[in-house]
Amino acid sequence: MSKQTAMESEATATTGETLVEVRNLKKYYEGGGMFGGDPVKAVDGVSFDIQKGETLGLVGESGCGKTTLGRTLVQLEDATDGEIHFDGRDITSISGEELKAWRQDTQMVFQDPESSLNDRMTVGEIVREPLDVHDWKTPQERRARVRELLETVGLREEHYYRYPHQFSGGQRQRIGIARALALEPDFIVLDEPVSALDVSVQAKVLNLLEDLQNEFGLTYLFIAHDLAVVRHICDRVAVMYLGNIMELGPADDLFDSPSNPYTHALLSAIPEPDPTSKRDRITLRGTPPSPRDPPEGCPFSTRCPVKIKPEEYRDLDDELWTRIEVLREVIRERSRAERSLSDRARELLGMETRYSSIEEIREEVFGDVAVPSRVETHIDEVADYVRAGKEAEARRYLFEEFGSECDYERPELYDVDGVQSVSLCHRHQSEHEEPATVYERQLSASGSK
Amino acid sequence: MSNTQQVDEVPLTQRIRENPRPLAVWLAMGAVLIALEFGAVFGFAADLLSVVISLIPGNPLPGVVSFLESLGSSIPTLLSRETIPNQGYFNGSGYENTFLGLEPMLAWLVRVVLVYLYAFLFLGWVWNGYVRFRRHYRYADWTPRDDVVDRLRSHQWGQFGLIVVFLFVILAVFAPALGPTTVEANILNPYSHTVQFWNADAGAVQEVTVGQANLQSGSQGSGTQNVGPWTYDDFGRFHPFGTTTNGKDMFTFLATGARISLSIAISTMVISGFIALALAMVTAYYKGLADLLVVVSSDSIQALPQLMLLILLMVVFNQTWLSEFYDGALLMVMIFVFGYWPFLWRAIRGPALQIAEEEWIDAAKSFGQRPWVIMKKHMAPYVLGYLLIYTSMSLGGIIIAVAGLSYLGLGINPPTPEWGRIISDGQPYVATQSWHISLIPGILITLIVTGFNAMGDGIRDAIDPKSAKGEGDGNTEAVAGGSGA
Repeated sequence: MSKQTAMESEATATTGETLVEVRNLKKYYEGGGMFGGDPVKAVDGVSFDIQKGETLGLVGESGCGKTTLGRTLVQLEDATDGEIHFDGRDITSISGEELKAWRQDTQMVFQDPESSLNDRMTVGEIVREPLDVHDWKTPQERRARVRELLETVGLREEHYYRYPHQFSGGQRQRIGIARALALEPDFIVLDEPVSALDVSVQAKVLNLLEDLQNEFGLTYLFIAHDLAVVRHICDRVAVMYLGNIMELGPADDLFDSPSNPYTHALLSAIPEPDPTSKRDRITLRGTPPSPRDPPEGCPFSTRCPVKIKPEEYRDLDDELWTRIEVLREVIRERSRAERSLSDRARELLGMETRYSSIEEIREEVFGDVAVPSRVETHIDEVADYVRAGKEAEARRYLFEEFGSECDYERPELYDVDGVQSVSLCHRHQSEHEEPATVYERQLSASGSK
Repeated sequence: MSNTQQVDEVPLTQRIRENPRPLAVWLAMGAVLIALEFGAVFGFAADLLSVVISLIPGNPLPGVVSFLESLGSSIPTLLSRETIPNQGYFNGSGYENTFLGLEPMLAWLVRVVLVYLYAFLFLGWVWNGYVRFRRHYRYADWTPRDDVVDRLRSHQWGQFGLIVVFLFVILAVFAPALGPTTVEANILNPYSHTVQFWNADAGAVQEVTVGQANLQSGSQGSGTQNVGPWTYDDFGRFHPFGTTTNGKDMFTFLATGARISLSIAISTMVISGFIALALAMVTAYYKGLADLLVVVSSDSIQALPQLMLLILLMVVFNQTWLSEFYDGALLMVMIFVFGYWPFLWRAIRGPALQIAEEEWIDAAKSFGQRPWVIMKKHMAPYVLGYLLIYTSMSLGGIIIAVAGLSYLGLGINPPTPEWGRIISDGQPYVATQSWHISLIPGILITLIVTGFNAMGDGIRDAIDPKSAKGEGDGNTEAVAGGSGA
């Protein structure tokens, strides 16, 4: 299925009319601790539109907030801030009967078909339930409708009286889709609908979804982490990282010529079916920062390989610059780590703690590169802070000395030249080089070594 | 799960009109069964009426009630002590006043067998009604409920439980007819009643008050002072379960005691189970503050010393109208419910929280299902299995707890028969030849707890479509139309 390069993404005619309009949507989860703590910023201010009849893909690594975004769109979660306009109406502010009536228009297909169907009910009862809830016509017509729906999703009428556990994963997902279709919604959020299925079955379910879209004029938000699937089914794609949309554009543009540094890295992770092809993979260092404590500036700034260097260090060697970033990462992790009482006691007694000393870290990070003295002095300063146990100050110092606009300032979504995408990166400003250019230079440099 | 398949098309009354025969046959069978016991049914109705009338201030119609009651007792019923008497005496050559001149043991046995036969016939009649409805009158030829019934039909352990529970219910319901003697004559007012017996020494039939006879037939462990199970005492009275320490008939005592012990235990478990289930649903669904409130209140109740609490509440409410109701049983039920629901709720809170995390709950929310329907339809069936097991296991504990209170003089007071008290009465004699006093009620409690447990097992499996029993092709996949997906 990964070979689906010839795409039918044009099959669905988008009317150009906007169905869903998301503006600066935020979803924070308050800290569960006794003292509150920082909230988890699962979705941190995203804005995008979904056109009628299109499929918008939403990709990103685990924990980036894509499922939360999907759940907020169907009002399974209350938005912390921002607006969701559905056909022009802000649905974050409605409740009660109005909300119930609106729910008919928006449905969700869940990720895990094992968990999304109540095993104690027959298939017919499951698909019928939304109809019962909304008092759809008469009971007779409901039964007829359920039979029709079962046929529509490729099951048989007589499956009405079967139980979900008698079906395979793919069939169960079809039941879930039938349930989502029951009320004739306009908009369906598909939360990784095929990721729990066998590869052989994935294609069939995806084709079913496409057929249904053509037949009923549905609008999809397709959440996935499988990029090949997204390319196959989506008209436009949004790339999410740490609660932010990093890049949004037509699927072809985004896959063929990504603009955002994160998209570059993400796409380079797609395995190439051709073993002889020589592709340069971009390996990101470290792990995504905690959504409780996201970076001040660009969300990707802590791991970005093409981060803008501050003016005075532009001439530094890329290798050395990477090492400095690594040091910052280590200090950041340490300042975030919570110390137990016994750790503190060990520290006070001068005993060995589970944290390695700053000398060891320096040796490890800078051991095999030449460090010019103007950088050296700053590192000495940082080491002093760390030795005194003031990690937060060390972190601040590094931030001030080596930080650039990527660290200070939140980038905007820039229109990217040449393609119809928007991308969240300072490098799209005219005074900087484009991410793609920098990547190319880096790769050719590492290739020539 | 609703049998919605039968809602439309031809209404039920019309289907009956088109094919009245099965219903007519069924009703005729029922009429015969009820006619056999018409006196008892009538008497029960009259009793009920007298209770209702006595609740009306001023007691306006005393004459009517007593007339109805006497009318009820004058109608012959098949299974009464009068129709099949067992309390006769030996006159030197044969038995007098017993059923067909049989010896008292056999006469009693005939009555017991007939009572149970009747009960099972009645059960069979009800089942037959369901089968007839399913075959002749129901619109749909299949509903999910059929699967539940079918799974129960092939669940032998569950059926065992069902039968045991049924046996005990019949014991309680037919207690006056089942006992070799009556509570009134043997236990409550023994000195107002007499028995005739054959005195072999004198070679003549003599008469003695029941109280006197009881005094000489008690089971106290020592050589001559014992009347064991399935024996006659010196006065020619048959005791299927032997006698108590003071010579009263144990079977009569236990059969009547089953009424009060079982009603306290069962109503306590049903009510506290219901409270626990409702709270578990609410706390698992809403979490947060609702959960915290219930956690705090249940912990507070559980932190109280239970016995202390029981004694305290019994004493506080002792003089109120609550303690008058059904020998104080209602008050005991309320107190036990108060003490037991936290335990049950704790036991099912975990499973309930787990179920609340399932995606089908989210799915139901996403199309706007009402919260209480979600709890009822999507959560409760999964927790019910646990609850059934916990409640059935706690039944015995309640019976014993009632006994403990009776022992302290706070529970069901003597002479009202009650199981727990007879167990504590018999405790000093467990190692003697009068072992039956404690052992038999103990076995009965074990049996009823096992019965309820087995029934709970059966019901749990029956309501779970995934349980392997009853469905030959339980785990085979349904082959979808060609797609295979």
